[in-house]
Amino acid sequence: MSKVFNETLYDALNQSFRIDKLYFEQKTGHQHLMIFHNAFLGRVMTLDGIVQTTERDEFIYHEMMAHVPLFAHGAPRRVLIIGGGDGGMLREVIKHAPVEQVTMVEIDGAVVEMAKTYLPKHSQGAFDDPRLNLVIADGMDFVRQSEERFDVIISDSTDPIGPGEVLFTDDFYAQCKRILNPGGVMATQNGVPFFQIDEVRDTARRMGRHFADQTFYSAAVPTYYGGVMTFAWGSDNPGLRTLDADILRRRFQDAAIETRYYTPEIHQASFALPRYVSTALAEN
Amino acid sequence: MSGRVIRIGGSEQEHARYQALVAQHGSPLLILDRAELLRRYRLLQDQLPDADIYYAIKAFAHPAVLEALGRAGAHFDVASAGEIGLLQELKISGRRTIHTHPIKKDADIRAALRGGSTTFVVDNIDELGKLIPYKQRIGLLLRVSFRSDTAKVDLSRKFGCAPEQVPELVHQAATLGVHVRGLSFHVGSQSLSPTTHAEAIRRCAELIRETEEQEGRPLDVLDIGGGFPVDYTMSGFDADAYFRPIREALGSLPEHISVIAEPGRFLIAPAVTGICTVTGKARRGDYLWYYLDDGIYGSYSGQLFDHTLYPLQIFRDQGERRQSILAGPTCDSIDIIAEDVELPELEDGDLLIGHMMGAYTQATSTHFNSLEGAKVIVI
Repeated sequence: MSKVFNETLYDALNQSFRIDKLYFEQKTGHQHLMIFHNAFLGRVMTLDGIVQTTERDEFIYHEMMAHVPLFAHGAPRRVLIIGGGDGGMLREVIKHAPVEQVTMVEIDGAVVEMAKTYLPKHSQGAFDDPRLNLVIADGMDFVRQSEERFDVIISDSTDPIGPGEVLFTDDFYAQCKRILNPGGVMATQNGVPFFQIDEVRDTARRMGRHFADQTFYSAAVPTYYGGVMTFAWGSDNPGLRTLDADILRRRFQDAAIETRYYTPEIHQASFALPRYVSTALAEN
Repeated sequence: MSGRVIRIGGSEQEHARYQALVAQHGSPLLILDRAELLRRYRLLQDQLPDADIYYAIKAFAHPAVLEALGRAGAHFDVASAGEIGLLQELKISGRRTIHTHPIKKDADIRAALRGGSTTFVVDNIDELGKLIPYKQRIGLLLRVSFRSDTAKVDLSRKFGCAPEQVPELVHQAATLGVHVRGLSFHVGSQSLSPTTHAEAIRRCAELIRETEEQEGRPLDVLDIGGGFPVDYTMSGFDADAYFRPIREALGSLPEHISVIAEPGRFLIAPAVTGICTVTGKARRGDYLWYYLDDGIYGSYSGQLFDHTLYPLQIFRDQGERRQSILAGPTCDSIDIIAEDVELPELEDGDLLIGHMMGAYTQATSTHFNSLEGAKVIVI
């Protein structure tokens, strides 16, 4: 009998994946990590019963979370990634030539090692990049204590019920603001609003307190099912999200980065929000 | 003591088997018989063919029990993060659980969600309020209180809303955006008559129809709890006669309603046998006192917490019967398994067998006096 992974995110419905081969399973404390192979998706990583990333569709998530803020910024020299232990975000960030240093703060060093072994296609050697400063620490502690400054901060976290809870707090956004250079931008994963509209509302309220310009952009990642997922966006420069398409096109061309989802047109369009999201935000 | 069955004597073969277990594993022991556990599971499936069976982990949370039932296809009733953790260790999905504790801290709710348990039980509006932050992920069962006169442990006093409150609570939940899937009730544990179950089911059938009409949408679950009794008096239990009225009452439910049962005791009690050993004796007044290596602070804790007198057995059947007291190993005077019982004179090393000791025995045992307690042996 073939084995099946049933996601446990919602009570009334769930997606299930055939497990063709289980590569890795670990239960530590109250955290349960699995990596398995699925014929269509390739390797799938789950945490506490929730899909985190798959080889087949991770490019959408990682390209959109890295390239949108980085191209919007235009001259990102110092980048901070919170979380992102699988290395996919790092892989996309280091494609940007202006980036001189990437600090990646992952709470669990074992995740990095595990991802190098079982999800090598995510990092594709990015962990060896000389620009990387890998810090194994609590992301919240890091942003509280850091005296460094960054041009772009990307929070690649689990959902707020999981270990990433603290990365959705008012204090986290305040500290990120503190360590952003003037004109900097932060982007965070913010869930699927069709199912989790409260997460959009909460973030808008909390992040909005600290940034002159706070909004969301979106992309549909198939295995985060439920339609588009949102990425929260915070900056003191409102111009960053209304850049001229020509500017984005020029930056994209100059960077000569190959993408499979991101285009300058997608970039611009991704800030247009579905009515059910903008309505919920208006009710805040 | 009234109601206690003590069997004096037994077959040599039976005796030899217990002695061999003690020789191999020491004493005291709790012997878990997985074949008997699965027989009980199938018996309940036969008696309640339309119900999904959720084993109440709290009754006896041993991994071998969960694994055997998990393989047999059972679901699980969990009440704490620890219980969910046990299932995770065994790679049993949280989707096969419901979280049945009516009162929870926020941390409990989050831990349950992280363990994949998404159906929760509430019985009042304050508790419902705690679940609002998670409303998009969860489903609720509303616990209703029906008092049982025959249950040994009345669970409808501590938890459950009045039946009359149901339509209003379901409506309030809907207003708050929380989905109520259905109703649940617990008539109490070791409920000797099926009448309370049957009446509660019929009343819930009415409430479900009333609520569905009021809300204009269907409910999908009735959780009839557990409480199905086991035969501690060894006087014979006619399962079919007991469950027939319950089955008939289930027939009154709308057809689309799924039924959940949450047996703990019914499945596990007969599947575990306690073995302990006489470690010393003394004559005090008219009584012979025997000191066993298990007692009230150990496997026999259920005599106190669960109000259960387990059927006992000794194998020495010759000689004059003496007024005897069977005492546990701790220094506390309350640690007495049985008093005023007439037994042939026992010797050090004699075994005392406790039958039907699966439910709420080891679950509530303590480490008082730093005693290790009975070792569980799985056969």
